[in-house]
Amino acid sequence: MRDLLELTVSALASGCIYGLLALAYLLMTRPTGIINFAVGEWGMVGAFGGFVLLSALEVPYALGLPLVVLVMAAVGWGTERLTVRPLVERGAPVLAPILALLGMLVVFREIVSVGFGPDPRPVPGALGFGRLELGLIAGSYQSFFIIGSTALVFVGIWWFFERTLTGRSFEAVAIDRRAAALMGINLARVTAMAFAAGAMVAGFAGVLVAANVSAHFMMGLPLAIQGFTALVIGGVGRVEGALLGGLILAFTEQFIVRYAPIPAGLAMGVPLVLLILFLLIRPTGLLKAREARA
Amino acid sequence: MKSLAGYFFAAVVLSAIAFVLGSYQTDVYRKLLLWITLALSYNFLFGVSGQVAFSHFTFYGIGAYSIVILTTQLQWPLPLAIVAAVLICVVAALVVAIPATRLEGFYLALATLAFAQLFVVLLNEGGSVTGGTGGLANYRIPEIAGLRITGPWYTIVIVVLMLGTLAVLWRLERSHFGRACRAVRDNPEAAAAMGVDPRRTRIVAYVISSALAGLAGMVYAFVDNTVNPVIFGLENAFLLLFMVIIGGSGSHAGAVIGAVLLYLMPFVLSPLIGHHHALVFGLVMVLAVLFQPQGLIGLWHSLRDRRAASAGRSTP
Repeated sequence: MRDLLELTVSALASGCIYGLLALAYLLMTRPTGIINFAVGEWGMVGAFGGFVLLSALEVPYALGLPLVVLVMAAVGWGTERLTVRPLVERGAPVLAPILALLGMLVVFREIVSVGFGPDPRPVPGALGFGRLELGLIAGSYQSFFIIGSTALVFVGIWWFFERTLTGRSFEAVAIDRRAAALMGINLARVTAMAFAAGAMVAGFAGVLVAANVSAHFMMGLPLAIQGFTALVIGGVGRVEGALLGGLILAFTEQFIVRYAPIPAGLAMGVPLVLLILFLLIRPTGLLKAREARA
Repeated sequence: MKSLAGYFFAAVVLSAIAFVLGSYQTDVYRKLLLWITLALSYNFLFGVSGQVAFSHFTFYGIGAYSIVILTTQLQWPLPLAIVAAVLICVVAALVVAIPATRLEGFYLALATLAFAQLFVVLLNEGGSVTGGTGGLANYRIPEIAGLRITGPWYTIVIVVLMLGTLAVLWRLERSHFGRACRAVRDNPEAAAAMGVDPRRTRIVAYVISSALAGLAGMVYAFVDNTVNPVIFGLENAFLLLFMVIIGGSGSHAGAVIGAVLLYLMPFVLSPLIGHHHALVFGLVMVLAVLFQPQGLIGLWHSLRDRRAASAGRSTP
């Protein structure tokens, strides 16, 4: 029982990380139709931002984490400005920015590899190392911090989409680009904000996960795959879907590793099988996108 | 290339090169030819048929592992093993393509990416059959009728493989099927209205190009006489995509130029920047998509057109 509950806490924490990465994809995909595989590399850049500010410069966590997220907003905005906007303005097919961003994936990774070398770098947790026990429920401080802060991010994003005019304009663009543009919504501004927000969320997830796995220049691709697996499971249409997909992925993965009698290496294939199954059986994901209301 | 004489001439020249190279140069030359072969078939899948798939290197790997396992562990004779390995590739390609081509847009990319990663996981966990993370080594190409093809003669096999792949794709691209592929790529609805079945066209294109990749993998298996999971991972799948885009997708010449350029670039760059040539690949890729979507071959075409235009003006 204790074992089960502890596993639940750790699965919840990983599920939150996957959910954040899925959210980063979703923020960009929903209004633009562009899938940005560089999300994982943004998580990696965020993790190294965490290493520089929190480990090397020893900035307090409460200041360092928001700073990393701000820097990531600039990274996302700059990436959109340089590699997406010129193509969209030219009217290139939607595949073109996806390919350009795939190139950026390699550029980000190699820049970090040149700058920091191949060794993993430590990133501290928010509340230091330690275990929290609340009756039967137990887990590391970092797990609880991840769960709590992810919940805040999702509530914030949900509030932004549902309750603010700017957020509604995102949804309007997602439902019908042309109609939204005719209503006076600035498409270029929505796209730029979508990329800035995507990078912020991905970088945030990167700092959080780096406390458990350290910052490493090759950490991006696994994050990217986990993120879009969660996205496909939950569905690209809804913010809640990203979190739901992340949690389903994490629970399946961890419970199979713990209880199913298969070697640990093969368990790495579980998310991939899950992704393929969902693509085949339910490519729209569990939650359906909202449609225009008459 | 159109004429048989052209292929024959190319085969003689490319084979003759094999006899003047040292052992290190032979290794570089063989791998260059294999990259060109892969880029040609990937160009058909990505450039002509318009399918963004990351599974091409996976089929290269399936071909390589199949031939080694069949000839060494099961002791099958080489010709039978080749046929069986091609069949394995075709079946695997059908298993991926039939469900995956139902998916629109980037979902095919996701599905093939997952498939590619899954293949590497299975290779790592395959125990004594795949040799795990270390892969398989210490085998040799089996004898056919008491003869063992080695040295420059094996390089000729690769030359034939490359020219054969080119010939197949050249014919295919100019056939009714090739035009159907391009129609489905550019506008599936219009293609369907013209009586082309978009799904079937995508499946056939996927299976043919994947089987060609598998065939190249079988030849590769006896180049280094070792196969291991790292070679068939996503890194090389990305590199192949970059080659086709930088060279000019949809064009055979573009695929060849891209493969030659990106394969040889590290040899030029390594003395200058060490192992960080991938940074240059990424930058060139981004610049190509932004400023030269037709690739280097497109640059050449526009230069030629401009020269033809200015020549036309000067002699009215």
